[in-house]
Amino acid sequence: MYRYDEFDHAMVRQRVEQFRDQVARRMSGELEEDAFKPLRLMNGVYLQLHAYMLRVAIPYGTLSSRQMHQLAHIARKYDRGYGHFTTRQNIQYNWPALEAIPDLLDELAEVEMHAIQTSGNCIRNVTADQYAGAIDGEVEDPRIISEVIRQWSTFHPEFSFLPRKFKIAVSGHANDRAAIRFHDIGIAIKKDSAGAIGYEIHVGGGLGRSPFIAKKIADFVEPQKLLAYLEAVMRVYNQLGRRDNSYKARIKILVHEIGAEEMRARVEAEFAKIDARGTLNLPNEERQRIASYFAPPEFETLTDDCPEFDAKYAEDKAFAQWIKTNIVAHKMDGYAIVNISLKPIGGVPGDATDVQMDRIANIAKAYSLDEIRVTHEQNLVLPHVRKSDLYVVYEALCAADLHTPNLGLISDQIACPGLDYCNLANARSIPVAQEISERFSDLNRQADIGELHIKISGCINACGHHHVGNIGILGVDKKGTEFYQLTLGGTPDENAAIGDITGPAFTADKVVDAVENIVETYMLERKDGEKFLQTYRRVGMAPFKERLYGAE
Amino acid sequence: MAQHVSKGARFHAVTANRLTDGEVVYFSDQGTWVENFSQAVIVDGAEATEALLEKAKTDGFLQVVIDVYPFEVIADETANGFNPASVRELIRAAGPTVRLDLGKQAATSS
Amino acid sequence: MEPSKNLIIDGVIAEDIWTYIEDDSALVDGPCVVSLARLKQDFEALQAHPFPLGLVVRAGTKQGEDINDVANMLDALSLIAIDFPVYRNGRGFSTARVLREDYDFKGELRAVGEVLFDQLVFMQRCGFNAYALPENMSPDTYNQAMRMLPGAYQPASDQRRGIIWQRHNQKS
Repeated sequence: MYRYDEFDHAMVRQRVEQFRDQVARRMSGELEEDAFKPLRLMNGVYLQLHAYMLRVAIPYGTLSSRQMHQLAHIARKYDRGYGHFTTRQNIQYNWPALEAIPDLLDELAEVEMHAIQTSGNCIRNVTADQYAGAIDGEVEDPRIISEVIRQWSTFHPEFSFLPRKFKIAVSGHANDRAAIRFHDIGIAIKKDSAGAIGYEIHVGGGLGRSPFIAKKIADFVEPQKLLAYLEAVMRVYNQLGRRDNSYKARIKILVHEIGAEEMRARVEAEFAKIDARGTLNLPNEERQRIASYFAPPEFETLTDDCPEFDAKYAEDKAFAQWIKTNIVAHKMDGYAIVNISLKPIGGVPGDATDVQMDRIANIAKAYSLDEIRVTHEQNLVLPHVRKSDLYVVYEALCAADLHTPNLGLISDQIACPGLDYCNLANARSIPVAQEISERFSDLNRQADIGELHIKISGCINACGHHHVGNIGILGVDKKGTEFYQLTLGGTPDENAAIGDITGPAFTADKVVDAVENIVETYMLERKDGEKFLQTYRRVGMAPFKERLYGAE
Repeated sequence: MAQHVSKGARFHAVTANRLTDGEVVYFSDQGTWVENFSQAVIVDGAEATEALLEKAKTDGFLQVVIDVYPFEVIADETANGFNPASVRELIRAAGPTVRLDLGKQAATSS
Repeated sequence: MEPSKNLIIDGVIAEDIWTYIEDDSALVDGPCVVSLARLKQDFEALQAHPFPLGLVVRAGTKQGEDINDVANMLDALSLIAIDFPVYRNGRGFSTARVLREDYDFKGELRAVGEVLFDQLVFMQRCGFNAYALPENMSPDTYNQAMRMLPGAYQPASDQRRGIIWQRHNQKS
C-alpha cells in the first residue's frame, strides 16, 4: 500500500499546524464560528447532536495493521472506546473534544493518516473496490489512480470552495463494488483491444434528495491525461454549479439541467485548453512510482488443495456456514478474501470497539499480509488470507465477536447513524436495523431468503444509501413522529437502479412487520432460485403493494 | 434539522453545544450553561422565548457555546415539570438510544 | 464595489486608485472600474477614455458572469476585480485561473468581497496578486496567511510546480 514520502508527511504536518492555529484563533474569539465552520469541516470536524464528530480518511478503504492499531488507540484516548466505519470507507469518532483534535491529528499523522477534506465543499475521499488487488478479473488495481487523484485533489486551491461536496469512486472490475454510477465522478477502468489502459468517465451520479444515475461522458481517457480531464470536469462544475440553493448544487443537478451532451462538450472544450498547456500531464515515472506501492504482495505459491481446511469445513458446521457466506474466491490459488461482518445480530451496523480494532489489526498482521479494507457497506475485509489459515482466523474472529456469517444477507444492512447521533436526521435508523436483524436472526431463514440488501437512511440526505437498497428504508418526520418510507428494487452496482416507493410510510412499530411482509411476498413469488432483486424485476411492485396495503 | 417549534407552542427552553467539547448544554436561570435539562430555565410564550434567546446571546457567548436555539418543551412529570417535545431534543437531552452506556443518560443511571 | 481601505498589491500595502462606476453613471477622470454588462455595452467609449480601465466580475448565485464573454476586451484592462460575495462562493478561483492561464492576463487581479484569511494562499495560487482585505487584517497577518501550506501537490497559476511533478524533477 502507499507509503508517504517526505512531501506527503510535510503536507499533513502543515495541515495539522494550520488547523491547530485555526482552533486557537477560534477559542480566543479571533475567528468567529461562521468563518471557522468551513475550516473545521475541511478537517472533518462536524458538530452532531451530542458532541463533535471527527471523520478520519481511509483512502480507498485501505489500512495497515499499524494504522488500525492507532485507530483503536485514538478511540480509547480521545473518544469513548469505539469507532464507526462509514459508507465512504472512512471511520468516524462521535465524541472528540475540539480542543483535543489537533493532538489527535498529530497522532494520526504518525501513522500516515489524516482527516483532510473528509467534509466541506471540496473533493472528498476517493473510494474504490474493496477487493482491489485480490479479486480475479481486475483490469487494473483501482487504488493506483485513486492515490493519484487523492494527491491532485488535496489542498487544490481552485476547488476548495465548490458549490457542494464532491465524491469520486473508482472500479477496476466488471462487477462494480464501488457504486461508481452513484458518484459525482465515477471511473471505470478499461482496456482497449491493444491491451492499453484507459478510463471511462461518468459524471453526475448521486443519491440524496434527488437520486441520479451518472452519465458517461468519456469512453477512454488515457492515463497521462486523466488529471487534465478531471480538472476540466471540476472547473466546469465550479463555474456552472448552482450556488443559490444547496439542494440544487451538486453536479448531478447541473448534468440534469444542461444534459449529458452539453456537459461532455463543455468538459471537452476545457480539457482541450488544459491539455494544450501540458501542465497536468501525469509523468510516467510518478504513475509507476505510485503503482509500485500497489504491486502484488509476496504471495506464496500454493494450491487450492487444503486437507486441513476440508477437514474443519466438514466437522465444524458454524465454520462451514461462515465460509459459505463471508469468504470470496481470491485470484491466487490457496488464498481467500475474508469479509468481516460488522453487523452482529442486534448490534450497531458498522461500529467496532477499540478491542475489536486491535484484534483485527493483529489478525491482519499475522494472516492477511498486514492489510485490511473498509467496504462502503460498513464491513471490513482481510484481503489476502491463506486457505490453510482460515480456521485460525475464524477462531480469532469468534473470540472478538466478529464472526457473524451474514455477508450480503438480510441482516447485513447499511444504516446511517440517524437521529441517535446526527444533526441532520429526521428519524432514527439504527434501532430499525437492530429490530430487523433480530426479527431475522435465524441463520437458516436468512440463508433461505438469500442475498437481500437492506439500506436505511435517517433523512433525505441518504447517507445510508436507501435509494439503492433492494429494500430501502427512509426515515421521515411527520409532525414530530418518526415514520419510515419503503422503496424496492434499488441496486448500486453496474446494473444501477433507484428503488421504487411502495406507498405510504410506516410508523416505527409497524416498519419491521412491513419488511417481513415484503420478504414473505418475495418467498411466495420467487422461482428457480431467484434472488430478491430478480423476483422484483419480474413481478413488479403490485404483489408487494397489495401485501403491504391491502387490495385496491 | 428536525426542530419543532409548532404554532401555538407555549413553553420553551434554550440549548446550545459547548464550544470546547460539543457537549449539549442548556441556558439556566443563573445565566449559565448547564449540562442537565432539569436545570434549564423554562419560559412561557413567544415573547418570553425571544427575550430568553437574547439573554443567552450576551457578550462573550461565542467563546463558550455554538448553535444557540430555542426548542419546545411540554409539561411532564419530571424534575423540572417539563420534557423536550421532540424526539430529537429528547435524544439530545439523554444520549443515543442505542447506547445507553453513553451520554448524559449514563451519568444519571445507577 | 467599494474602494478598498486595506489593499495589498504584490505583497505591498497600496492605495486604491480605482473608482467604481455604476452602470448608468458617467465616468470620472481617473481609473474607472465597470461591470461586465457595462464593459460589453460601452466598450468603445470606455476604451476611448484616457485613463486605466478595470472590470469587476460578479460570481452570482444561480449563475455567475462569464469572463469568456469579454475575451477580446481583456487587453484593454489594467485591473480585473473578482468578487467573492460570500466566502463559500468559490467561482472566483476558477475565473482567476482562466484569466491567467487561458487568456494570459497580465494586469492586476484583485480579490474583493468576503476575502478570508484562510483563503488567501489559495487565491494567490490561483493567480490573484491583489487583495481587498478585511479592514482589521494587519500586514503581518496577511504575511502569515500567505505562509500557510507552502507545499503544493498540484500546479496552478503560481510558480509552484506541484509535488507530483517535483518528485521526478519534471518541468510542468
